Amino acid sequence: MRISKRLVIIALPALLLFAALYAFRLPGQAGPLPAPSARPAAVDSTKCIATKEFMRANHMRVLYEWRNSSVRDGNRVHIASNGSRFDKSLNTCLGCHSNNRLFCFNCHMYANVKPKCWNCHLSPMETP
Amino acid sequence: MNEQRRSFIRKTGLGVLAGLGAASGLIPQFSLEKTTLPAWDDKPVAGKIRWGMLVDTRTCQESCRECVLKCHHVHNVPDFRNRKDEVKWIWKSPYEKAFPTASRQFLSKETRGRSCLTLCNHCAESPCTKACPTEATFKRWDGIVAMDYHRCIGCRFCMAACPYGSRSFNWQDPRIAIKNPSTDYPTRMQGVVEKCNFCSERLVKGLQPACVESCPNKALTFGDLNDPESEIRKLLENNQTMQRKPELGTLPSVFYII
Repeated sequence: MRISKRLVIIALPALLLFAALYAFRLPGQAGPLPAPSARPAAVDSTKCIATKEFMRANHMRVLYEWRNSSVRDGNRVHIASNGSRFDKSLNTCLGCHSNNRLFCFNCHMYANVKPKCWNCHLSPMETP
Repeated sequence: MNEQRRSFIRKTGLGVLAGLGAASGLIPQFSLEKTTLPAWDDKPVAGKIRWGMLVDTRTCQESCRECVLKCHHVHNVPDFRNRKDEVKWIWKSPYEKAFPTASRQFLSKETRGRSCLTLCNHCAESPCTKACPTEATFKRWDGIVAMDYHRCIGCRFCMAACPYGSRSFNWQDPRIAIKNPSTDYPTRMQGVVEKCNFCSERLVKGLQPACVESCPNKALTFGDLNDPESEIRKLLENNQTMQRKPELGTLPSVFYII
């Protein structure tokens, strides 16, 4: 394949210019900040936030997402696909699931994963 | 590649660089580093919340430690009974330690002997958040200097940066030193820095911070510094107040009536 000389001569400086301008671009405007109002989330801890199959495969992603958006952005309310609202907190899950003290540990031991949650958060084993 | 094209590319490249250099000189926003000086007063944008606290040292009782006990219980702050490992969120300092740069010449003995409640100042221009390499400590939308313990790597740059000594490091596993743990708040782990969070977990629920609530003499006032109608702003309006080390330009959100 042959690229014409003229194309290279025009495209190369243009590309360079673009790259340089991109490097010097102005910092993007952050989105609107969440309203810092006190809003107690209507916690619905009688239901699960998603199906059992989804949570089995993706609970770590959900918790990761919850942790970042609640701690860093202050966005504390999770709206499930069916419209019910949950407080983005590990305690929302443990509200029901700590009934089984081995709820987390059984699978994690079997899969030999060692998440660091319980270094700080109270695990179902420790709650009275 | 023939000679003509090579020289053309070289000239174009130099031209682009020269153009950018000129642009960065002419348009200040193009310069590589921000060199704008911090505003020394009223930095936070009006309209957004900026939480602040006012400590009335006149009514704060000398022997009372209610707020300290309440805060340290609510937030599972460990007590190692040892100055080296000490972890503190809120504590009492003698006047000359709290305001080391304030004039003490001919100061009344009573004021000199007063102990002042000290905590994280939640500075508007917080040096700790600027020092943190992992953004584990960051400035929240409501003016609170928050910690994300998940991200803290324990480098302690923030402790070196904080001019108020408001940060403590967990040299040991804190769990062994928590006598009466609270189940409503997590603990920390060994190797992270911790500090006052202005009770952000209580603010979400619409409650006042634990220290403010526990004070028997109502010496602490908490509120929005950006709201001219708030109680704290009215008190600031009507009283002579001080901030800790104001000359550093950190714009603390904790004020004192002496």
